[in-house]
Amino acid sequence: MARMTRREFLKASSAVVALSGLAGCASTGGAPTTTSTPGDLAPNRSGRRVIVIGGGWGGATAAKYVRMQDPAIEVVLLEPNDKFISCPFSNLVVSGVRSIESLTFGYDGLRKQHGVKIMRESATAIEPDAHRVRLARGFLTYDRLIVAPGIDFQTEQIEGLAAAGDRVLHAWKAGPQTVALAQQLKEMPDDGVFVLSVPPAAYRCPPGPYERACQVAWYLKTRKPRAKLIVLDANQNVISKPALFRAAWQAYPNLEYRASNKVVKVDAAARELTTEFGDKVRYDVANVIPPQRAAAIAVQADLVGVDKRWCEVNHVTYESVKAKDVHVVGDSTIGIPVPKSGTVANSMGKIAATAVVNLLNGRPAPEMPPINTCYSWVSDTEVMAVINAYRIDSGKVVQIEQKLTPGQSALYAHHAEAWATSIWADILA
Amino acid sequence: MQAFVLVAALAALVPATAAAGPVDTPGFTKAFSCSACHGSAGAARADAVPILAGMPAWYLKKAIDDYASGRRPSPEMEPFSKMVTTLGVDDVAAYFATQKREASPIKLDRAAIASGRTAATQCAGCHGQDGRGDQAKGTPPLAGQPAGYLLNQMKLFKADKRSPGDANLTALKALMKGVDDPTLANLAAYYASLGR
Ligand SMILES: Cc1cc2nc3c(=O)[nH]c(=O)nc-3n(C[C@H](O)[C@H](O)[C@H](O)COP(=O)(O)OP(=O)(O)OC[C@H]3O[C@@H](n4cnc5c(N)ncnc54)[C@H](O)[C@@H]3O)c2cc1C
Ligand code: HEC
Ligand code: HEC
Repeated sequence: MARMTRREFLKASSAVVALSGLAGCASTGGAPTTTSTPGDLAPNRSGRRVIVIGGGWGGATAAKYVRMQDPAIEVVLLEPNDKFISCPFSNLVVSGVRSIESLTFGYDGLRKQHGVKIMRESATAIEPDAHRVRLARGFLTYDRLIVAPGIDFQTEQIEGLAAAGDRVLHAWKAGPQTVALAQQLKEMPDDGVFVLSVPPAAYRCPPGPYERACQVAWYLKTRKPRAKLIVLDANQNVISKPALFRAAWQAYPNLEYRASNKVVKVDAAARELTTEFGDKVRYDVANVIPPQRAAAIAVQADLVGVDKRWCEVNHVTYESVKAKDVHVVGDSTIGIPVPKSGTVANSMGKIAATAVVNLLNGRPAPEMPPINTCYSWVSDTEVMAVINAYRIDSGKVVQIEQKLTPGQSALYAHHAEAWATSIWADILA
Repeated sequence: MQAFVLVAALAALVPATAAAGPVDTPGFTKAFSCSACHGSAGAARADAVPILAGMPAWYLKKAIDDYASGRRPSPEMEPFSKMVTTLGVDDVAAYFATQKREASPIKLDRAAIASGRTAATQCAGCHGQDGRGDQAKGTPPLAGQPAGYLLNQMKLFKADKRSPGDANLTALKALMKGVDDPTLANLAAYYASLGR
């Protein structure tokens, strides 16, 4: 083991104190019964510990719902960020309609209301055979693990993108990039060209890029009517709610949509994108959403399939088909016929938590289907949506029905606000 | 500093009593997907969706049935009602009926409440003096529902867009057609204020 600096040692030992100090609902009480192995940051005395990797839509929900359903289970949530920033509604930050602060929440509810132990750290590796999660300074053991790390970008698939640094943003994980993209849009010349590049499916939030197109186009229409938005879509058509988005775009003559235009190269110095067919597109602001895969920790732990991108899971328990006692929820998963959405991640978090609680109590996991709803803001005041309901048939998730709102309206914007208010509280409060 | 404000704002989204759902609460798992829009244990904190906590089981079942069959059009609730039907509507209805109702935090206008009280005499015959509803007359409780939700439903009745053509609602819709929109807003504020 690498030698620790004094400060690292103090940090590590205070983490141990913080964890063991809170532990003990179901422990034998008093002195530790397990002798700690070197590097074990907090010996698992209760034998009923769940570790959750990632405090986003799926992971934070799962952590809360394990504790709600069985307070005797110890839950440790690993999340490097001290704040939760919502991707849903973040396209409204790009257009200046909402502030990033209005999408930013703390983790106090999980900690104080639900007794989730939160460590502000990244998991660095998973060892399923040893039932261990590695952190920078040691490891923690678990009885069941819930992996919810979201997505990472395949930046290497677009030549020059890595070298472009923060001159070319994705803003596909809400946070500093979202704010920076809003700034780039604001500072763009009045007759400038904004180019939005949509990655090939599967990626996080199927309608998200088209909602972003609406928001950028709305901003240009109201603030820079001489400017232009070009959407370069790697897919053959708008891949979510195509008729509704195309109807919404009628209001934006400054929006030009080009299907089957996959961006393969970025030249940040020349401000030029190149498509698969060799077309070159000049830009003043480029917003390139790169191709995606499950986040690094899931790939590195080999929870992904042969495509090396996404994790296949059991449709009832969300247990990985590749690792025992390891469950995966949210955008990292594939194979369940659901979109990569926040509503789905929240839903999966609840179901996986319920499965874990039942399995730890020696009972079978109940068969519960997830739900989906994606509201999309097509202007500053109007919203349309897609809704999916599912059932479980012979152990598999199958769709009962998909419905679209008949069009866009201010009423659905009120429904969207109600959804956001409710689901943020469902995840964190 | 801003962070404190935000944390406080989120705290305002939860009912005072944290929902505690031990694994054995009947219906809990069948109903938990609803909290994505209707709040924790049906205690909606938003203005545009109904509170389900404390809703009589007979009415919730009727609503689910009307949505699932398409009689009461709603792009959100039609698919989810079909799902509820596959899961067992009785369990879901019983779960929400036994949840404690928490007052909605949405602010109301005093003047609107006062005007609404006067206008509500024409509703009491069917919905009861205190807006508590009456199963015999097929009326749901209105008391304490968010004003935004109530107002929208009244407008839908007025335009015959909620359960269009339903013969049982002819009297109600005829009544709504004669009430102007500002009065409907006052009625919504009044009923929302009851039971707080
Ligand atoms: C612009 C935009 C708009 C969207 N709009 C909507 C919408 O309107 N409706 C909707 O339903 N969905 C929407 N989505 C999709 C939604 O944001 C995602 O589907 C959702 O966040 C997925 O949840 P998750 O838990 O899988 O991942 P995330 O929410 O991203 O959470 C993953 C967490 O894991 C942490 N993590 C990663 N690696 C590690 C590690 N090694 N150790 C510890 N922690 C780690 C990360 O820091 C992060 O906090 C939108 C997305 C975008 C980008
Ligand atoms: C995506 C958001 C969303 C989800 C999830 C959702 N609902 Fe709804 N619900 C709504 C909206 C919006 C309305 C109002 C629809 C209308 O105008 O009729 C509503 C209305 C209702 C009503 C009518 C109440 C009344 O007073 O007439 C019932 C009952 C209901 N929902 C039950 C449920 C149940 C049970 C679930 C979970 C299985 C659920 N809902 C999930 C959005 C949602
Ligand atoms: C003739 C009887 C009758 C009268 C009078 C009446 N209602 Fe109703 N109301 C009903 C019935 C029946 C329903 C349930 C409809 C259904 O099952 O879909 C209802 C439903 C409603 C709802 C929907 C509640 C929900 O949870 O979705 C609102 C709001 C409402 N009434 C308001 C009023 C107001 C305000 C008045 C007075 C102006 C009024 N009603 C007068 C019979 C009546």
